[in-house]
Amino acid sequence: MFKKVLWLALCTSALGAQAAELRVLTHSSFALSKELLAGFEQQSGVKVVVIKAGDAGEMVNKLILTRANPIADVVYGIDNTLLGKAQQAGVLEPTASPAGAAVKQTLPGMVSVDYGYVTLNYDKAWFAKQKLALPKSLDELTRPAYKNLVVVENPATSSPGLAFLLATVKGLGEEPAFAWWGKLRDNGVKVAKGWSEAYYTDFSKNGGSRPIVVSYATSPAAEVFYSKQKLAEAPTGNLLLKGGVFQQVEGVALVKGGGQKKAARQFVDFLRSDAVQADLPRQMWMYPVVPGVKLNPVFALAQQPVAHDTPDSQAIAAKSAGWVSRWTRVVLKSGY
Amino acid sequence: MRAVFSRQALALLPLAFLILMALAPLARLLYEGGGGLSANLFFDDYLRWRLVWSLTQAAVTCVLALAIGLPLAWALARFAFPGRVLILRLLLLPFVMPTLVAALGVLALFGPHGVTGLNLQDTPWLLLYGNLFYNLPLVIRAACEALATVPASRLAAARTLGCTAWRAFWRVEWPVARPWLASALCLVFLYCFSGFGLALLLGGQRYATVEVEIYSLVAYELNLADAGALALLLLCLSGGVAFGYAWLERRLATPGKVEPLPPRPAATLAERTLLAGALVLLALFAAAPLLAVAGRALSAGVEAWAVLGEGDTLAALANTLRFSALALGAAAVLGLAHALAAQRWLWLRAAAFLPFVLSPVCVAFGLLLLYPGWSASLALLLGAYALLAYPFVAKSVAAALDGVPPQWPQAARTLGASAPRAFARVVWPLLQPAFRRGLAFAAATALGEFAVTLFLSRPEWTTLTTLIYQRLGRPGAASLDAALVLSSVLMLFAVSAFVIIEWPARRDRDSDHA
Repeated sequence: MFKKVLWLALCTSALGAQAAELRVLTHSSFALSKELLAGFEQQSGVKVVVIKAGDAGEMVNKLILTRANPIADVVYGIDNTLLGKAQQAGVLEPTASPAGAAVKQTLPGMVSVDYGYVTLNYDKAWFAKQKLALPKSLDELTRPAYKNLVVVENPATSSPGLAFLLATVKGLGEEPAFAWWGKLRDNGVKVAKGWSEAYYTDFSKNGGSRPIVVSYATSPAAEVFYSKQKLAEAPTGNLLLKGGVFQQVEGVALVKGGGQKKAARQFVDFLRSDAVQADLPRQMWMYPVVPGVKLNPVFALAQQPVAHDTPDSQAIAAKSAGWVSRWTRVVLKSGY
Repeated sequence: MRAVFSRQALALLPLAFLILMALAPLARLLYEGGGGLSANLFFDDYLRWRLVWSLTQAAVTCVLALAIGLPLAWALARFAFPGRVLILRLLLLPFVMPTLVAALGVLALFGPHGVTGLNLQDTPWLLLYGNLFYNLPLVIRAACEALATVPASRLAAARTLGCTAWRAFWRVEWPVARPWLASALCLVFLYCFSGFGLALLLGGQRYATVEVEIYSLVAYELNLADAGALALLLLCLSGGVAFGYAWLERRLATPGKVEPLPPRPAATLAERTLLAGALVLLALFAAAPLLAVAGRALSAGVEAWAVLGEGDTLAALANTLRFSALALGAAAVLGLAHALAAQRWLWLRAAAFLPFVLSPVCVAFGLLLLYPGWSASLALLLGAYALLAYPFVAKSVAAALDGVPPQWPQAARTLGASAPRAFARVVWPLLQPAFRRGLAFAAATALGEFAVTLFLSRPEWTTLTTLIYQRLGRPGAASLDAALVLSSVLMLFAVSAFVIIEWPARRDRDSDHA
């Protein structure tokens, strides 16, 4: 039976290779309305095969490992934390932005598609009930009043976790940042493996006991959108502190050595089209890079940060591995 | 002589599969890492703590699972009560639950907002509870099967000669059950040792196992040299366990036809108390988190259940059904072939544990390196499912084969039956219950698909489990409700699969009613 299946799959994949097929590699959070993708297929005459490769960090590593035999023609979802690494490994083809409205959030060598912010979220009901004032700086989080209240994701296994670490390094300066992390550890910070774990098992809004979590600035809006009774106000809020906001810009690029160049280029332009830009926010909870696109009114419920501390992608490429291992030493390894 | 040759030839299929799907990818990954294994990795205090912790929690879980599981299994095996057979089938259910959902269930009981009012989050107790939730059922199932192989006549003789029930247990039942328990505990150890585990989820990064370290080294840092070194170390440690187990199992095997003791109603007060206590314990450790998930799903209201009508859900259900069925087909063939061949060689028997022992992330990345052109193909994905599922069939059937007296097929041969006929008429009927049992475990694995998220996938291949993780990947009460509803559907689905796979044969049914 298995052999038959294998054989069948072989045949279909062989057949598939003959039809024009555009292989799009994405991270697992990628989502787009089916009608839009179908429209693109019709217009371009190619079949789009979306391949999900896990978390964005995992995806880039898979791309790097297979650079001799690329597994995709175009890749979406590489952000400014990973761009440098991907470029150093030489897996991307420099891809120029399409002509049109000037966008503010750009990625060198890639075409930016959407952006968002990684920041702290807090549980409004918890703070109201405990009558505790919101912290006004990262430093305050290391005080006894905020003991055991914070959960962060491990930057070695989670993209938002890494983004938050990068923001602290940029916002506080490298040495003070790690000193701060040391104090936060002493004040009982909990480290979760990834966003879902932190948000659903440790955040006090759900199963856990900690009212402050590293999440996204659009999460409060998503909380309202995915609430049971339509809420007028978000149950969570953004805690926009100096050194605690990271601007994440995601983009699309052609894969070096990939095929279907023309269709790939069309796909890049397609992601910048008004229809896709208007669809993205609600699908992935990111802001569109093209200015003037009308947002779902629910986005008004999430405060958009005006300032952020984001190192440039060259600095990230050069130093983030070192920062992560130093973080592991300071937060996880000390005490063993 | 021909039969021996054909059995040896049977080994080729699972061996080729293991080499193509597991060993070659790992070797390829090690090669990519440069092969320079750095020993200084092991002088790192932090990693040593990881290793010690991984070993400790696995060992403690084994001891606890045995201490709690054995008396519990004894009560389930010896006493008849309504719903007994169903409970035995349901024991596999924890296996199917995605770790994150199981954690939600556990926290709904013993979390900060838990219904028990007892907050155990961030204490070691919750970790052990989580480990027992997944592993206790394994031990109970094995012990129940084991106790069913204790000859009724031997027990009756012991009792006639004046043994108390307690003494009869130690002198008659315990020796028979030992190999089965050793097998189950070996599996528990391997799962706890190399798993990602609920422990990490419930306890935070402090309780991460070595496998988490490997995952981060490969998937995030692309540090293949260190990851390879660690993966090899794990392979040696747990490979040793697997080999020891295979040796033990073969040594302790006692072939022979047994007339098992049929379960009877609990008669005395002491017996009723024992049974009631066992059921309460079972409910506490295995059923409570599942019930908490189902309960929360049911109380979520009609809007939450509307998710069932969505196209995505229906497609995911269809995929789950399709992939599980295909994986089961492959697991059946590979498992049978492996078990039959492993009768002759100890190392082959131990090799059935390979898929449990290898680091999943290393295999996933190795496959990518080895077959880049195939990396996003359905065949590879199904191969991964089969790899994780088939050892259960192999293990179960191998153990049952030990119990088949060699004289029986020989007698059939002497009477003129051909080798295939002797197998089909004599050996196969004896293997069938074990085969079905193995398939049920394989189905649970295929439905639960722990590691499959590590492989490349396509949106059109979304299964129920991936859909649950997708829902838990975004905020909002409705997302959580949808995930809980989908988890309940997954449970229902799994229960029906288990009941169908292990539909009792007529003889079992009779004995259940006896």
